[in-house]
Amino acid sequence: MIIEILKGNDAKILRHDEKVILALVPNDKLRTTAELLFKAGCYYATGVGVDERLLGVGFSMYHIFNCESEKRYVILKAVASNLKIPSITPVISGANWAEREAMDMIGILFDEHPEPLRLILPDDWPEGIYPLRKEFHYNERPPKVEFKPPKREKKPGIMEVPVGPYHPTLHEPEVFELHVKGEEIVGAVYRGFHVHRGMEKLAEERMTINQIPFLAERICGICGYTHNCAYAQAVEDAAKIEVPERALYIRTILLELERLHSHLLWFGVAFHLLGFDSGFMHTWRIREAFMDLAELLTGNRKTYGMNLIGGVRRDIDEEKKKKVLEIFEKTKKETKEVLDNAVGMKELISRMKGIGILPKKEGREIGVVGPVARASGIDTDVRRDHPYAAYGDLDFKVPVYKEGDVLARFLVRYEETFESFWIIEQALDQLPPGDILNEDYELPEYAVGIGATEAPRGEDVHFVITEGGNKVYRWRPRAPTYNNLPAVPIMLMGEKLADAPIIIASIDPCFSCTDHMVIVDGEKVCRCSLDDYLGRL
Amino acid sequence: MNTIFIAVNLAFALLIAPVVDGFERKIRARLQNRQGPPILQTWWDLIKLFKRPTIEPQDSVKSLYKLAPYVTFTAVLTAYLIVPTLLPSSINFIGDFIVVVYLLGLATLSFVIGAFSSGNAYAQIGSNREVSLFMSEELLLAFIIGTIAVIGKSLSFDQLFPLPLRISSALALILLFLVIYVASARLPFDIAEAEPEIIEGPLIEYSGKHLGLLEYSIFLKRLLLYSLLLNFILPVQNPTRLIGYLIGIMILSVVYSTFEAYYGRFRIDQAVKLMKKLSAVALVVWIIALVGW
Repeated sequence: MIIEILKGNDAKILRHDEKVILALVPNDKLRTTAELLFKAGCYYATGVGVDERLLGVGFSMYHIFNCESEKRYVILKAVASNLKIPSITPVISGANWAEREAMDMIGILFDEHPEPLRLILPDDWPEGIYPLRKEFHYNERPPKVEFKPPKREKKPGIMEVPVGPYHPTLHEPEVFELHVKGEEIVGAVYRGFHVHRGMEKLAEERMTINQIPFLAERICGICGYTHNCAYAQAVEDAAKIEVPERALYIRTILLELERLHSHLLWFGVAFHLLGFDSGFMHTWRIREAFMDLAELLTGNRKTYGMNLIGGVRRDIDEEKKKKVLEIFEKTKKETKEVLDNAVGMKELISRMKGIGILPKKEGREIGVVGPVARASGIDTDVRRDHPYAAYGDLDFKVPVYKEGDVLARFLVRYEETFESFWIIEQALDQLPPGDILNEDYELPEYAVGIGATEAPRGEDVHFVITEGGNKVYRWRPRAPTYNNLPAVPIMLMGEKLADAPIIIASIDPCFSCTDHMVIVDGEKVCRCSLDDYLGRL
Repeated sequence: MNTIFIAVNLAFALLIAPVVDGFERKIRARLQNRQGPPILQTWWDLIKLFKRPTIEPQDSVKSLYKLAPYVTFTAVLTAYLIVPTLLPSSINFIGDFIVVVYLLGLATLSFVIGAFSSGNAYAQIGSNREVSLFMSEELLLAFIIGTIAVIGKSLSFDQLFPLPLRISSALALILLFLVIYVASARLPFDIAEAEPEIIEGPLIEYSGKHLGLLEYSIFLKRLLLYSLLLNFILPVQNPTRLIGYLIGIMILSVVYSTFEAYYGRFRIDQAVKLMKKLSAVALVVWIIALVGW
């Protein structure tokens, strides 16, 4: 069905296999094609702007869609003519940030974009310098330009409550400016992007393909391994590298271990925000066991450094296997005890029930992923829809709740935690013999690859264009929070200020992986720059 | 003699109130699987705060802002003259129960006024919550005082300590036990401070000696309320009173901090709703007392 849509719109199919369809779409048909894809059930995963002038193409934009029904990723490629590409944001609002990111970093102009404003670059960045163009080098420091912060006027009766950049709720620097009437939130402004680390540029210019996994792992301080895996999968997909089955199983075990400790961390944070510090202390006590397990299996408590292209670096022997199962027996019981106690606490549950609701329709338009999507009735899970690592061979359930509130997100994570125990037990049991690393491969020139994993926070997409030799031409990681964050101001509207921390935390945000901006003013939702917003006040 | 006893009582309160807090912190820590700070930690914290410089925020109403901590502290301290602690001596007069309640009210009020005058958004939200909570607990307290007055046929503490053993007096004391829990700003009722939500609310702008005084008055207020409850139970002129009092403080500390460790924070509307329900119960208890049970 997808292929018919593409062919019907004069698309040139560049790659068509069981994982990916890559099609070059003529600019005048881009918007209709995107709209048809969205209506066919594909949601917008992310967009990547690429400077392809060295390939003789010019600037191009890759729109990546996740088509769960066909178990494929569909990539629409559009080439800018005269720096211009029609925007698809008017038909798919989820494309807003991705297009503006390409605008900032590459300098592509999107026709008819509703808010063609700066998103990522800071206010003192000069015009006309685009950091991801090939002529810009990673160590360049362009001169700062003067800018005037716009004057802000106060609205009568509304109090501005800044949550951030330093606030005990948030553990990373970003700002939620809440407009509060009494205790009710009537407006929310999110401003982030304070910690952009220029990783893409660094990877393209300085690093070899087997160094990037270690950089990718440092994208996140909690779910780094899943980024690492997604990157490795993207390169393996581009170069068609066969990964030994044992390596795939080991990856699965570590990915699930990471999900376990990440979910327990989240439970702890949620309990703390709700004032239930005993729960916080006890979940984190249990979490220590998983950190120790990670150390046992990989040598590191966090930032495992396990992946290379083509496999993993350490094997799991019989002794380790036995030890893991031993520790599991104890921790599983403890986890169940603490979490069941929490679920049994009426006042804790009543703080989460019915607040921060995200309706399914809005969620789909924004393209939310992971537990946030599953709590709003969107049945999506990369592990099941696009099987990677060893997930195709293993049995697990995907919990889906319809309520869309904070409690539903809590319960999705609660069920997933126990599924993860089950997955690791299966994977250890079925661990096939054989090699763990395949080093016999050659990197093709300019091949497109995509790697997706289900991070603890949702779908994690990495897009890679290889350069041949041992370099990548373009690498673009997209963390799940990038898609989930635009939903937060919608959840916050009309809620009580006391609930704001737990609502913000309910998407399990990972700001440094993401860092973008969204604004909700009164009834109207608009994603625009803070300056523009304040100018209109 | 009486004056010396009262001075001893005051000194005891000033010395021990932070120790009681340190003790509770230790209990909470053990329940949360932590080592916990030493019992004297609260004292070290206070001493540190008194050494630090104080800063007044730019937008604040400076005179009110600076005055508030002293008024709060003095109000709580004055109440110690009326409520006996270690030794059964105090200044008594007709209606002193009401005066204690008003002194506690004054402490809360000046605390809130100081926070409002700081000009900080978080402090204002915190004060709003503090006032709503105070109002709702005030209604409950009024019914409890009514009940106790009916039982003891007086509003003076020397007539009321200890209360005669009756169904209504037992029920009234249980309610008082609950009000004290709420008034001492513990989880789930630490809504006004709520560190992860509004960053300690009313206290946010205070620093140094002002912050020290405000925290000191919170500890003193807790000990005062403990003593109030214990006085209703313990026999007055009896050598065992001293031991009973000290053990009573320990038991209350353990019970309250255990409660605290096993609760999440209420939202202000949930707390107010709960207080309304309790007020209705208190009304029934008052009627029971009137009937003479």
